[in-house]
Amino acid sequence: MTGRLTRRAIAAGTLIAGASLLTAPRPLRAQGFPSGPIRLVVPFAPGGSTDLTARLVADGLGQRLGVPVVVENRPGAGATTGSQTVADAAPDGQTLVMSNIASHAISPALYGNLRYDPVRSFTHIAMVITNPSVWVVNPRSEIANLADLVRAAKAKPGGLDMASSGAGSSNHLLLVRFSELAGIEHTHIPFRGAGPAMTAVIAGQVPMMSDSLPSAAAHIRQGSVRAIAISSAQRHPAFPDVPTFREQGFDLSSTSWFALSGPAGMPAPVVERLHRETMAVIASPESRQRFAELGGTPGDMTPAQFTTFVAEEVARWAPVVRASGATPAS
Amino acid sequence: METLFTNLALGFSVAFSFENLIFALLGAFIGTAIGVLPGIGPVATISLLLPITFGMSPTTAIIMLAGIYYGAQYGGSTTAILLNLPGEVSSVVTVIEGYKMARNGRAGAALCTAALGSFFAGSVATVVVAASGPLLTSVALSFGPADYFSLMFLGLIISAVLAQGSIVKGIGMVVLGVGLGLVGTDVQTGQQRFTFGVPELSDGVGFVAIAMGMFGIAEIILNLERPESRNVLTNKVGSLYLTREEFRRAVPSVLRGTVLGTVLGILPGGGASLSAFGSYMVERKVSKNRHLFGTGAIEGVAGPEAANNAAAQSSFIPLLTLGIPANAVMALMVGALIIQGIQPGPRMVEAQPDLFWGLICSMWVGNLMLLVINLPMIGMWVKLLEVPYRHLYPAIMVFCAIGIYSINNNVFDVYLMVLFGLFGYLCSKLKLEGAPLLIGFVLGPMMEEHLRRAMLLSRGDVMVFIERPISASMLAIAAIALLAMLLPGLRSGKEKAMAEGG
Repeated sequence: MTGRLTRRAIAAGTLIAGASLLTAPRPLRAQGFPSGPIRLVVPFAPGGSTDLTARLVADGLGQRLGVPVVVENRPGAGATTGSQTVADAAPDGQTLVMSNIASHAISPALYGNLRYDPVRSFTHIAMVITNPSVWVVNPRSEIANLADLVRAAKAKPGGLDMASSGAGSSNHLLLVRFSELAGIEHTHIPFRGAGPAMTAVIAGQVPMMSDSLPSAAAHIRQGSVRAIAISSAQRHPAFPDVPTFREQGFDLSSTSWFALSGPAGMPAPVVERLHRETMAVIASPESRQRFAELGGTPGDMTPAQFTTFVAEEVARWAPVVRASGATPAS
Repeated sequence: METLFTNLALGFSVAFSFENLIFALLGAFIGTAIGVLPGIGPVATISLLLPITFGMSPTTAIIMLAGIYYGAQYGGSTTAILLNLPGEVSSVVTVIEGYKMARNGRAGAALCTAALGSFFAGSVATVVVAASGPLLTSVALSFGPADYFSLMFLGLIISAVLAQGSIVKGIGMVVLGVGLGLVGTDVQTGQQRFTFGVPELSDGVGFVAIAMGMFGIAEIILNLERPESRNVLTNKVGSLYLTREEFRRAVPSVLRGTVLGTVLGILPGGGASLSAFGSYMVERKVSKNRHLFGTGAIEGVAGPEAANNAAAQSSFIPLLTLGIPANAVMALMVGALIIQGIQPGPRMVEAQPDLFWGLICSMWVGNLMLLVINLPMIGMWVKLLEVPYRHLYPAIMVFCAIGIYSINNNVFDVYLMVLFGLFGYLCSKLKLEGAPLLIGFVLGPMMEEHLRRAMLLSRGDVMVFIERPISASMLAIAAIALLAMLLPGLRSGKEKAMAEGG
């Protein structure tokens, strides 16, 4: 009897001591968070760059928070199906979404009947990674820079054939913005994903393609395509030879982005904790290395800056979507 | 040739390391298990296991993932044969003759044929990949949008032959399938088509929902309707292994299927899914026992299973030489490699010879593992048929529902499967075949995409389909096939053959 009591007392004592040890050095620790496994909704099918990024983040976040972070793929309707689920979830930090340029900047303009507002229906927590677009041509092509591209487009009736991973993708919309700025025509050749479009450029069926740097990086490195312009504001450290649009006289910059958001109205301490841990995950040397291999740049924004950024993105892309002719579903 | 042997020796030394063997076995085992569960596919499993591979050596990681891929393909045939449940495009064809064989008490023989045929085809395709992979890349690149369109057009024309009985009904089902395939977001404009404002339909109707509904669920309804037929399956189990006669019949079909699958698998986008259909059509036309088709002909299992596995191997060629994934599973593998800091592509052969050749040899090892795992298990699988049907069918329903839900984490797909189950029941009452519908569903949208892309690139000039030699030859064969089908003399000949057979 006594033995059992003592054991129980020791156990309780240890628990209390342990708990105070855990809480003491972390005054900002959010009450009761995390209360269990966290759902990280990826609004795309497994295997894409959003999915890969999410799995990297989920792995690191899970270790730092001490609870499993479970990636759940809910693809559909231009990434809006999965985002809607999270907008409808309880704002306790247990349900998060891998927000991105499609779900939170382009689709709101593309899909007329969206039930969520990309800014007000969410709590925007942390920018994870940004990727520039890169324009590539067949290595045997005579097009070496954007000036050549404009000349070739003007020489061909109906403009040059320009490929992208799909109608309404950020890479397609960059083609639209460029053509407007340069005053040229183009015939957009959309593909079902970046892979088939890249095959067509390598095989010489389409002269050029607007692609995200992560999916084009390997092909550029091995010389199966040639990069003629990159859409970031500065040159990319991994591809210092590829000039930006600005350097070539076209005032354009655009990056696609993947970030972490939750439902609107999350408690500030939870947001802060998640922001801090996410930043720690993407700052770790192995994440930096993986992001560099994927061709991306780790994000660096406070939750407030990120929220403003989303609002700016929505305003930036709406007119382009209208100009592209990619018709909104009503 | 000598370098090939040196390379293969290097590859086998990598593949036969203890760690890699264990992970190949593990992958093949996991793959078989998920393949057997209807609807739970390799894509979901591989994406779940992806984080685990971060800590492994890249070679081991990719060997395990590849094992899951082959395992799932093989496991899928098991449920197709035993329970009339096709989980993916390739096993739709296996269902047609395989399930009939199971009902005739030859389930063991059908499973055995699938295992041996797959192993043989896998071995041959592995050698082809090793010997000529980089050369065959040019074949893949020479196919333009016009050529793909004509290839699929040919496929659709010939698939009318798949219909048992009325050609008109067959064509009707193909057209209905093409129509269903049009639901969703238009690739060219991003416009929603035939979605009636339902957001769940914006990415189209799910293949698995149609396949499991039309075949699996419809079959359950039919079985429950006829009490006497419920016992047919359970009483006749028969000998587990192939008779000499069956073996003799299967061999030429396996050979033809292997060649066809290896060639079609090289084409990225659609090649692999065409291979099983293609092989079934070929067998129906050229095999000596073509009159037995529709009643459980072993040729109809042996050919498509071999073709399907050969294509699964040779579809690694575009991945390894161009760095372009042929399907979602391959895309996940590229993701796994990139995270490990390896760029798939032509430079991989020189930069990571141990990975490149190790992977190729592990394909063969993976196929061997499948044989080792599955041959002894055939007896166990067949025992499954002895489970009383009143216990079996609720279990099938539950697994189907879980499987279909897990694809998109969406209840809508479960309702869709039920709907197609009822439709499938109606179809079998009206003697309408499900397979041509699924072929139309798979090929129709791909055909449309390539047709419109070819027309965009040619600025609306239809001559592009005749000017390109590949496209022109495909269209010529299609024209001959169409003529042969429409000529009254030949048509009555076909009907007579059908009458004899059925």
